[in-house]
Amino acid sequence: MEQVLNFINSYLGLLFILLCLGLILFFIFSDRTREKLNLRNIKAFSHFSREVDLAVEAGKRLHISLGRGTINDLQGGAAFIGLTILDRCARAASNSDRPPVTTSGDGVVTILSQDTLQSTYRDLATEQRYDPTNARLTGLTPLAYAAGAMPTIHDEHVSANILAGHFGTEVALLTEAGERSRSLTVAGSDSIPAQAVIYATTDESLLGEELYAAGAYLEGGTAHTASLRMQDVIRWVLVVAIVIGAILKLLGILS
Amino acid sequence: MKKILPITNAIIAIASGILVILGYFFPGMFGGIQSVLIGWAIILAAFALLLGIFNLAMVHWKKVGNKEPGRVYSIVLLVSLFLTIIIVTSSGPAGSWSLWVFNTFQVPVEVSLLAVLAVVLVFAGARLLSRRPKWNTILFLATVLLVLLGSVPLFFFGEITPLIAVRNWLAQVPAVAGARGLLLGVALGTVATGLRILIGVDRPYGG
Repeated sequence: MEQVLNFINSYLGLLFILLCLGLILFFIFSDRTREKLNLRNIKAFSHFSREVDLAVEAGKRLHISLGRGTINDLQGGAAFIGLTILDRCARAASNSDRPPVTTSGDGVVTILSQDTLQSTYRDLATEQRYDPTNARLTGLTPLAYAAGAMPTIHDEHVSANILAGHFGTEVALLTEAGERSRSLTVAGSDSIPAQAVIYATTDESLLGEELYAAGAYLEGGTAHTASLRMQDVIRWVLVVAIVIGAILKLLGILS
Repeated sequence: MKKILPITNAIIAIASGILVILGYFFPGMFGGIQSVLIGWAIILAAFALLLGIFNLAMVHWKKVGNKEPGRVYSIVLLVSLFLTIIIVTSSGPAGSWSLWVFNTFQVPVEVSLLAVLAVVLVFAGARLLSRRPKWNTILFLATVLLVLLGSVPLFFFGEITPLIAVRNWLAQVPAVAGARGLLLGVALGTVATGLRILIGVDRPYGG
């Protein structure tokens, strides 16, 4: 029994990953025949989708900020969501006179954003629209990144900004720039201090896991809705585990 | 070729991802290859940084060439970039001239931006009430005020013990509970994002 417990303890992380993977694959296959999944209304996404349409009609630009996180650590998750949003925005704004512009604070994320833009345009057979300077590295320190991204919001006819990635409190400078240029700002981050600042400075904030639901809300495909359903299931499992753990500790069974 | 390249990219990315994950759980068997792959990733990231800086220079060069408004700032950036590269290359990253550039220009500019950030945050807090006049906004602002008052000694009054106790309780109980809830969501989202890339559904590498 002890050996089994030791084995589980050593490979709990791997088991957790395999469980998540299994659930995602299960939901991908089970949802294939399902018409559409009912998602709860997140105001930020509905406003943003509307603003994308308006931007295309008005010949204005969308700005996607991917934050200053690197993909070599945990912060990369938020940046990858930003890339998914970039892909959806580039597709939605493919008829616009002004293609979306993206800013980031890390070399690898900049290259990935260029690659995302290029492959999206290639998919749409409009590769001539691809301009590598529309995916920019604006600075390598938090404040340098924010200072470099602010002129993009002010000077480039931006009608909507989506800030999706790793930020710190410097995100306030970006949201303030959006406010001053009277453009819509939708923002989400993986960092707790940044989420507090975003809540206080924007009308459309994405808190906690809402940012990670972007793919599902922007019609990224079955895999995105499947991973959303996996998160719901695992969240409930964790809630039950935490409550049981707390009760056991109250009863003195757990030390 | 147009189809083979994306598939090859995907295979390389998925195989690398799986090997790195396995390296964490079976260090004896996959630890070596995991270290090699992470080493390669670090080298590639350094090259990506160089490309990113080149991209930054290109963006501003284009602005100067197209005579866009605010091109003066782009000229300042390009000249600064050029001079910094020359100084750091000749003096070394920890050389006295490099440190002089860092301490004379970078630090004061960033400190000024921090000061601007503090003003922006205060202004945003004040504006929040007119923007969202709801009970949760009032609760948010009241909590901020309580934590601020409990964090610093007050003029004339000094430290007020009940305020410090309230601040400590707010920071240790509701704030930690809320932060853990948010972090749980973020962690699950990160796992889901990583797994989508690992199974090749999301391909941010042009696959």
